[in-house]
Amino acid sequence: MLKNYLNIAFRNLWKNKGFSFINISGLAIGMASAILILLWIQNEASFDQFHQKKDRLYMAYNREVFDGKLQCWANTPFPLGPALLREYPEIQATSRLQYNNFLVTVGDKHLKAQGCFVDTPFLSMFTFPLVKGNKTIALNDMHSIVITQQLAKKLFGDDEAMNKVLRVDSNENFTVTGVLKDLPNNTQFNFEYLLPMKYADKLGWSDNEWDNNSPSTLVELKPNTTEAAVDDKIKNITKRHLKGSEQVEVFLHPVTKWRLYSKFENGKIVGGRIDVVRLFGIIAAFILLIACINFMNLSTARSEKRAKEVGIRKVVGAQRQYLIGQFLGESILLAAISGVVALIIVQLSLSGFNQLTSKQLAIEYGNIYFWLSAIAFVLFTGVLAGSYPAFYLSSFQPVRVLKGTFKKINALVTPRKILVVLQFTFAIILIICTVIVEQQIKYAQERDNGYSKNNLIYHLLTGDLDKNYNLVKNELLSSGVATSVTKTSAPITQGWSDSWGFEWQGKDPNSKTDFDRFCADENFAKTAGVKIARGRDIDLKDYPTDSTAIVLNETAVKAMGFKEPIGQIIKDDGVTWHVVGVIKDFIIRSPYEPMRPMVIEGSKGFFNAMHIRLNSANTTEKNLAAVEKIFKKYNPQYPFEYHFVDDEYAKKFSDEKRTGTLAALFSFLTICISCLGLFGLATYMAENRVKEIGVRKVLGASVTNITTLLSKDFIGLVIISIAFASPFAWWFMNKWLQGYDYRVTISWWVFIGAGLLAIAIALITVSYQSIKAALTNPVKNLRTE
Amino acid sequence: MAANMIKITDMEKIYRTEEVETVALNKLNIEVKNGEFVAVMGPSGCGKSTLLNILGLLDDPDNGSFVFNDIEVAHFNERRRADLRKHNIGFVFQSFNLIDELTVFENVELPLIYTGIKGPERKKRVEAVLDKVQIMHRRNHYPQQLSGGQQQRVAVARAVVNNPKLILADEPTGNLDSSNGNDVMQLLTELNEQGTTIVMVTHSEHDARYSHRIIRMLDGQTVTENILI
Repeated sequence: MLKNYLNIAFRNLWKNKGFSFINISGLAIGMASAILILLWIQNEASFDQFHQKKDRLYMAYNREVFDGKLQCWANTPFPLGPALLREYPEIQATSRLQYNNFLVTVGDKHLKAQGCFVDTPFLSMFTFPLVKGNKTIALNDMHSIVITQQLAKKLFGDDEAMNKVLRVDSNENFTVTGVLKDLPNNTQFNFEYLLPMKYADKLGWSDNEWDNNSPSTLVELKPNTTEAAVDDKIKNITKRHLKGSEQVEVFLHPVTKWRLYSKFENGKIVGGRIDVVRLFGIIAAFILLIACINFMNLSTARSEKRAKEVGIRKVVGAQRQYLIGQFLGESILLAAISGVVALIIVQLSLSGFNQLTSKQLAIEYGNIYFWLSAIAFVLFTGVLAGSYPAFYLSSFQPVRVLKGTFKKINALVTPRKILVVLQFTFAIILIICTVIVEQQIKYAQERDNGYSKNNLIYHLLTGDLDKNYNLVKNELLSSGVATSVTKTSAPITQGWSDSWGFEWQGKDPNSKTDFDRFCADENFAKTAGVKIARGRDIDLKDYPTDSTAIVLNETAVKAMGFKEPIGQIIKDDGVTWHVVGVIKDFIIRSPYEPMRPMVIEGSKGFFNAMHIRLNSANTTEKNLAAVEKIFKKYNPQYPFEYHFVDDEYAKKFSDEKRTGTLAALFSFLTICISCLGLFGLATYMAENRVKEIGVRKVLGASVTNITTLLSKDFIGLVIISIAFASPFAWWFMNKWLQGYDYRVTISWWVFIGAGLLAIAIALITVSYQSIKAALTNPVKNLRTE
Repeated sequence: MAANMIKITDMEKIYRTEEVETVALNKLNIEVKNGEFVAVMGPSGCGKSTLLNILGLLDDPDNGSFVFNDIEVAHFNERRRADLRKHNIGFVFQSFNLIDELTVFENVELPLIYTGIKGPERKKRVEAVLDKVQIMHRRNHYPQQLSGGQQQRVAVARAVVNNPKLILADEPTGNLDSSNGNDVMQLLTELNEQGTTIVMVTHSEHDARYSHRIIRMLDGQTVTENILI
């Protein structure tokens, strides 16, 4: 029986090569897309699920009301971790974690690496196994360091790294007390080395203040304690230590939710990346469904070709379930062939997809679960695609098909119409989404950022740069490489500091407005190209008291309620600043957010970066070479790591660009698959109507008449699809755009445009068959009876 | 075993479309004995094909009784009809109705597959029957590679491979020339001589003469019955 089924299935596939090609390629593309997306989803869902104690690991979060809204954030005070461990018996261990970015030196090898300060229990809490060393004591000594295998290889080559000495940040010697297995690609942690928190204490990076939020606090609960119970107990710990001066509360966020559920609204988890994962899942399901629809449509469209077979089988004794089994077997065989093709497509496109999604996804061919799920996937696809045709075909009455009274299906019957509409609805939704995403990106890119990005570079104040800043600056200016140089607290594209603790005259004591805090020693407006609205820029040369000068942006003036801002006094963290000028707003964080109030403190502030306005009279190469020479002279130990501000600014759009590219990719694939199906349907339609076309031509119909006749049914369906797709797409994109404060308005022509595009694509697909049928000699057609 | 294989009493079958009602069988009464060879004749539209479909359990009557081997089958459901059919009835059609995608051997094998006969036994029986209809040398050919007469011999082979008690033939020579037609009729006669009951619908007086009895139909009723032997 099975052999007979397989036999006829293979022969059918071979005999109807066109049909098989359309089905296999459509299904293969659909399955390949679904596999890629499923790999991505699997990776996303596996983030930090490998920690053995994952059910007991948490990160402490703060929550507090600002401007009427309950905000949640993960930066916590340094004393929180030790206090939690000391005061609550339910807590097994805690570790603080603070990222850093030090220069690591071995001999004359200098490497900039990403690492963090942690407390000793970190390695026992999280499953980052050591290949060398003892995890319980590795970070006990202040001058110990634990490095990954990869960093060990970079620093020591094939030599043993254990117990070797290396220098961190050119300051002190550290002994390697552990070598970590490299981090898997599905963790939120990102470090190449670990340093003891004690060293941060020594550097003065940490403090004992309960109102300074900086590191993350990681918490391991004892077995048989619940998150809710502990949450309830620890809620008031910070408030208690601050004696009520802040209303901040502490709660726990489980490690298993860090990746996908990290968006809080009014203190509750409302989603996060899980929204994207769900969306991708829906897209995968739809693309697969659309490919299956092709199979359903084409199988039922050519049903009269198989009606005879069904009739004969029934006459010789086949019961309906045998036939259902046979047809399902055929669709599963087809799905299996498509599955193999899909796997090849996936293998070929994986590196491109990885690049697009910034992942290292791979198929684990050695994994039994992969093959089991592959078989399940093929069976699922085969049954999904084959069930409707199987029930439809097996329902034929032998009396009717064998006596030739079986009615040929001339027009598209209703279920097939619905399926085509479903395909095109989805395709049109994707087209509309692609256009709107692209519009939104362009809209934000064209937004006035408030400063001049070109020819502006920044460099972090690494090594001796801070110490030698004035020498570097003078040489840059005197050599004609730069026209203006300013020392700042952060790169102009990144907001590193904010505070609601500013004091000024007339401040509403209940107001809690958060200000961006930026520092610039002098001439920031000139260096960055920011416009001055009132007063002047900070100028240490002509105004010696400007070390405590402060500049506000226009939004900050409004937020502070100043009528006459110049000369106002602002207090911040014990320093008294006097306002000398007001600048026009510029974008420092997200180009999609409204402008935030910002203060720019003068040279008494803190500094981490320098901005250099290059002399546009020279070529960029020449400028960079000259800057590098000067940097090497004054900061020889550290690499020259400059950043062009325009490149950095462009990175702010990378997430949305990725969304745009993926939307475009998925719409392209959907259209491809849908058109393959449409082409197949048009072919069968034209075949079935051969006699009708012949008669019509004999009676005087023109080629145009016939082409229109054959195409209009399909176009009607596409128009219905536009009507369905538009409200969905509008609703969906409107929701997406709500995530951006600075957003484009959805215009009606996008819908019209997407609709016209879909009609054009459908018309091109169908017209080939229509015109071919219309051009055939009618005599030939009528003789086929 | 009963003397009558088929006993049809007061059978009615009416085809309805939205406007027209066509009476295909009108209070029809027919009996067919075990081992008989009956020819059914009549003009187009007299109901003979409808009769054959009902006899073959491919269609069900609106009224009346159909006793097949002492069992009332008129209102059997699809499943029971299929079961009865595959064990008792073989079909031969005017247009052969072979499956184009299967070889001669596989076409003949099909009924055995559906009755659940095992592979080696199938092979033996298919080869025996192909030998009988003298088409063994073409066993691996596809239907479209054969002449009409050969195709009909394959169809007869398929009809008898399961050793049915009844063969229903619907104008078995209609698409054949006289020489091939005679071969097929000869084959049917041999089967009948070996004990198989045959009911054959035909337009050909020549073919009808191979039978024992001719039932003539008009407007859904029998008009005469000529007993030939």
